Amino acid sequence: MSIRHARPAAFAALTLGAALALSGCAAGDSGDDAESTSASTVTITDNHGEVEVPVNPEKVVALDNHVFETLSEWEIPLAAAPKGLMGDNWPEYTDDEAVGDVGTHREPDLEAVVAAQPDLIIGGYRFGDSYDDLVEQNPDAVVIEIAPREGEDAVAELKRETEILGQIFAHEDEAEQINAGLDESIAAAKEAYNGEDTVMGLLTSGGKIEFAAPVTGRAVGPVFPALDLVPALDREAEDTSHGDDISVEAIADANPDWIVVLDRDASFTEPEPGFVPAEELISGSEALKQTTAVKEGQVVYLDPSFYLTEDIQAYTHLFDQLQEAFSAA
Amino acid sequence: MSRDHGSAVHRSADGASTDSGGRPAGRLPVSDDVPPEAVPEPDIAAHHPRRPRPWRLVVAVVVVLLLLVASLLVGVYDITDGEFGAEMFWITRVPRTLALVLAGAAMATSGLVMQMLTQNRFVDATTSGTTEWAALGLLLTTLLAPAVGLVGRMVVSSVFAFVGAMAFLLILRRIVIRTTLVVPLIGIMLGAVVSAVTTFLAAQFNLLQMVSTWFMGSFTPVVRGNYEVLWIVAVVTVLVFISADRITVAGLGKDVATSVGVKYETVLIAGTALVAVAAGVTTVVVGFLPFLGLVVPNIVAMVRGDHVRSNLPWVCLGGIALVTVCDLIGRTIRMPFEIPVSMVLGLVGATVFVSLLLRQRRG
Repeated sequence: MSIRHARPAAFAALTLGAALALSGCAAGDSGDDAESTSASTVTITDNHGEVEVPVNPEKVVALDNHVFETLSEWEIPLAAAPKGLMGDNWPEYTDDEAVGDVGTHREPDLEAVVAAQPDLIIGGYRFGDSYDDLVEQNPDAVVIEIAPREGEDAVAELKRETEILGQIFAHEDEAEQINAGLDESIAAAKEAYNGEDTVMGLLTSGGKIEFAAPVTGRAVGPVFPALDLVPALDREAEDTSHGDDISVEAIADANPDWIVVLDRDASFTEPEPGFVPAEELISGSEALKQTTAVKEGQVVYLDPSFYLTEDIQAYTHLFDQLQEAFSAA
Repeated sequence: MSRDHGSAVHRSADGASTDSGGRPAGRLPVSDDVPPEAVPEPDIAAHHPRRPRPWRLVVAVVVVLLLLVASLLVGVYDITDGEFGAEMFWITRVPRTLALVLAGAAMATSGLVMQMLTQNRFVDATTSGTTEWAALGLLLTTLLAPAVGLVGRMVVSSVFAFVGAMAFLLILRRIVIRTTLVVPLIGIMLGAVVSAVTTFLAAQFNLLQMVSTWFMGSFTPVVRGNYEVLWIVAVVTVLVFISADRITVAGLGKDVATSVGVKYETVLIAGTALVAVAAGVTTVVVGFLPFLGLVVPNIVAMVRGDHVRSNLPWVCLGGIALVTVCDLIGRTIRMPFEIPVSMVLGLVGATVFVSLLLRQRRG
């Protein structure tokens, strides 16, 4: 629970008292305008435990990439965000001077968070390391982490995150729609997959190819269990987020029927100078030309922004992409 | 002219290093209180080069060749499997092995050159900040002139490496060196400053991830079509061989060099340029190969004494052998995955570096 950390007991008691009093008032109302009063709260379970979160908090700081798309769809204003990690996917946040810039997780400007005087901070994921600082520095804010947890089913985790956002921002119906969208895409992709073809997940960056393990690998990993794909190389990841060093020989040897690739370098605003596009590295590779995936053109390139989004919408889109590719084969 | 003056020069070196009188400004700074073995010392063995025992070199060549054969044979894909197996051999194994040879030989010999020019055993491209400069050059090229392509990037990287190495040499000239270890410390500090700039720029442009992949020394992505530019460093290695004596003489200082008719400044600049090209090209194609240029010349000198010219083939072979062994380890322990050669090399290199330091202290 986020409150336990640095908050003085007296303050906790006060908050609790106030919350009780106000929720008492709210209960008295028929609930219609409960949504608009920032005073009402909802109890959610974040990655640390149960937290009481104000419904429709006035000032929100979001640091977790998974939530930007959903918040953007719901037109939730942000007080501050890590603009350096957002590419040009959400101009309404990145181009707005009024939205504070927290920088990137590698060089976070946590003072920008404090300056925003948030009521709610959605931390976690890349900013997971800053959790304690965020709690300590923002005693008046509720800090939550709702990013997909490691070791849990990725699809369920994405849906859980949307659900929590729905509760906090009183968009529960929309949240349900988003979740249903993902389920549908998965079902359709599963339907289109022939159940036999072998698949390999790869990442490319700086002209190098890396292996994304089934289940745990960045981006492509969760797709394997979701669709019951047959991995062309069934190995666990040593480096789950950046992939394992693999030679083209090893890929050629595993001879996947399908290759699904995340081009990490393609995710930034302009295609970065000096980077070798995944397409050139894989489809253009002499050593891989004999693999079924390349021969048959069965290489699926993830949306370039995937590396910066990784949200439920991105996965829904990926499953749609796979469904299309599988059906066309 | 200096070609055959090897032993004569070594003798004058002794004279120079014990001469505590006013050192001319051009002389590379070697403080007088440096223990004698700290300077690439012309030891007794070097005065009388050992009787040539060519069979030793032959054995070494055979060992290295065996390593290279192993490198050609080790890999995930079954190269004996049909027509494509043979093609795969030419696509990945041969280029990779050639890249190992070229990079290993060039980095090791340029380490030796660096050590001669600075008169310090602990200097090579990685401990003088030279590779960091090359990296900065590479990053700047990709940021400012993305269209220049591979050759352009290599040129800029090499130029930066050259500037960096010269800056290092100039700083060395200006300070009083109290102990030999200060020299690599200065280099490492310079490198840290430069790489901080690189990191800052990379962070600004969201390239951190990419930069760390770039500079991670690894032969994994080496295939036909992307390593050929490494042949440039073969030229470097040959040039080092040709100018070995001149570099040795220049390493003894301006006075000595001039007295035997070597154009000190010219050799200094040419030697630095060779190191810079080797560092620049290798950084662009393979990434950082930490300690390679440090460990190999030192081991060779430990075993054979300090006769640069006759040590050169050994340094070359040693560089090739070390990088090949490290790459073979990296390739096999996590098959079908690989561990970047720089990681293995860093481990091996750091161990040797530390044990050298300890040896030095005890000595």
